[in-house]
Amino acid sequence: MTDSAPSFADFVANWSLFRDAVLTGAFAGGLLGFLGVQVVLRRMVFASSAIAQAAALGVALSFWIPSFLDPVGHAAHHSGNPGAHSAIPIVFDPVLWALGTSLLATLLFIVNPIRWRLTRESLLGVVFLVSAAGAVIIGDRITQETHDLAAILFGSAVVVRRSDLILVSSALVSLVGLHVLYWRPLIFVAFDPIGARVQGLPAGKLNAFVFLAIGVAVAFCTRALGALPVFAFSVLPALAALLLTTHLGVVFALAGILGALAGGGGYLVSFRAETPVGATQTAVATVIFCVAIGWRAVMRFRTRR
Amino acid sequence: MLLSNVGFSSHPGAPVAADQQSDPSPLAIAQDLEIGYEGRAILPPIQLRLDRGVLWAIVGPNGAGKSTFVRTILGLDRPVRGTLTRAPDWRPAYVPQQATLDAIFPVNVLDFVLMGRIEPNRLLGPSSREDRDRARAALADVRAGDLEDRLLRDLSGGQRQRVLFARAVAANANLFVLDEPTAALDIATEREVLDLISALRHQRGAGVLMITHLVDDGLTRADRVLLLDREHQTVLAGTADEVRDAPEMRRLYGPLHARKAT
Repeated sequence: MTDSAPSFADFVANWSLFRDAVLTGAFAGGLLGFLGVQVVLRRMVFASSAIAQAAALGVALSFWIPSFLDPVGHAAHHSGNPGAHSAIPIVFDPVLWALGTSLLATLLFIVNPIRWRLTRESLLGVVFLVSAAGAVIIGDRITQETHDLAAILFGSAVVVRRSDLILVSSALVSLVGLHVLYWRPLIFVAFDPIGARVQGLPAGKLNAFVFLAIGVAVAFCTRALGALPVFAFSVLPALAALLLTTHLGVVFALAGILGALAGGGGYLVSFRAETPVGATQTAVATVIFCVAIGWRAVMRFRTRR
Repeated sequence: MLLSNVGFSSHPGAPVAADQQSDPSPLAIAQDLEIGYEGRAILPPIQLRLDRGVLWAIVGPNGAGKSTFVRTILGLDRPVRGTLTRAPDWRPAYVPQQATLDAIFPVNVLDFVLMGRIEPNRLLGPSSREDRDRARAALADVRAGDLEDRLLRDLSGGQRQRVLFARAVAANANLFVLDEPTAALDIATEREVLDLISALRHQRGAGVLMITHLVDDGLTRADRVLLLDREHQTVLAGTADEVRDAPEMRRLYGPLHARKAT
C-alpha cells in the first residue's frame, strides 16, 4: 500500500463504479461457497479446480478461434478501428465457450469411470492437465488478449461486466434454490449412494444435477472472477464452515455467507491495498479458513480442560 | 434338502412372524440366476427363494461373489442370465458397512434415520411431521431413542449399527440387506447386534439377507445359508445344518460347531 493508496471513503464515493464487481464477487463467493460443501463432502476438491481450468481453456479458445479464422478483421477489432472489422459473432462469446468446456469436463465426472477401470480422481487429473496445458498453449497463440487471459486465470475486476453480474446472480438464485428444494435426497445420495439407489432414488440424476450445478457455477464465475478465486471459493469457505459447526444445514448456509464475505471483502481489500483482485479474494478466503482453524483449536482446548 | 446349484430351497421350521403368516408369497425368486460383470458369469446358476421372516446368511471367502450376488438381488447390477422375480410389494433396505459411511459428513442420527423416509416420488421439500414421528419410533425400536441429536460419526460401533438398522425400520422395508453388520465390532457388541437382527426379523416379519464373515454365528442364527465360492465354482443353498455338514463348507472353513441359537 502506498501513501497515495485509495481510502475506503474513495471507494464509497465511487460505489457506482465498483458495484457490479463487488456484487459479482460476493454472489460468486456465496454460490461457490454453498456448492463447495458438496465438493468437499464428496471428496472431489480438485473437481472445481479442473472444471475452472476447463472453463479458462474455453475462454482462451473463444479469443483464439476468431483470430485464427479471420486474422485481419480480428486485429482491426482490437486496434479500435470500427470501420475496418466485422463484429465478433455471439458464437464466440467467452461465457458460452467457458460453459461449453466446463460442461464437457463435468460430463466426464457424471460418467462412472469405474466402467473404464479408472477412478474419478484420475479423471480430474486428466481434465486439469489437458485444460491447463491447452490454456497456456492457446494463450501463447493470441496476443491482443494476453491481459484478458491472465485475468481469466488469476482474476481481475477489470473484466467484470454487467452481464457477469446477471449471470452469476441468476445462477445463485436458481442453483441454490434447487439445492434447497431437493436437499434431503441430494444429501442421501452423497452420503450413502448405494442405500439411496436401493431405496429407489434417482441417484444418477441427482448426482448429475450436483455436477452440472458445479459446472455451470464454475463456468459463470470463472469468466467473471478468474480460475484461482473460483477454486478458492469452492473449497475454503466449505472447509471453514465444517470447522465451525457440525449441523449440516448450517454448514451449507455458513459456507455461502463466508464465500460471499471473501468475494466481496476481497475486492474491498484489494482496492485499499492495491493488490490483484483474484489473489486478494483468495487470500481473504484463506484468512477466514485460518480463523476457523484457530477457533476450532480453542474450542478443543477448552473442551479438554 | 441340500441344494447344489439346482432346485428351490424349502424352509421347514423357519420362524415366520405373525403378520407375515397370512402372506406366504415369496419376496423374490431367483431361477438359474447367473451373476457377474460385463456379460460374464462368475458363478454357476443360483436357485433361491427369499421368504418373509426368513434369515439368509451369505457366506464365502473374500472375492467369492457375495457382494455381486447382493447387488444383483437389489437391482444394482443386471443378471448375466436367468430370471429374478420380485414381489409386487418388494421393499428392500440396504444396511451398509459402517466403514463405508464417510465420517467427514456431519450427519446427526435423526437426519440419518429420516433418509429412510425419502420416497422416490416425494423428493421435494422438508420431512413431514409423520416422517419425524416414524423415524423416532424406529430409533425407539432399536433402543437408540436417546441418540437422535448425536452425530452419527461420534457413536460407538454398536450404537451406530443400531442406528443403521433404525433407518431400514423407518423405511418400512420388508427385506433387510445387511452387509457384514458385525464387521469391526468387539465380541459383546457383535452378539448384541446379532440379537437385534433376530429380534427385528421376528417382530417385523421381514426377510433378512446378511453377508457375514462370522460363519459359525451365521450358521447358528440363520434359517438358510447360501455358500458362494468363485474359486471352486461352488453355489450351495440349504438349511444351516445341511450347509454346515457339506464337504464344500468343510473344505473352506474346517469343522464348524453344530449349535442352534435359542
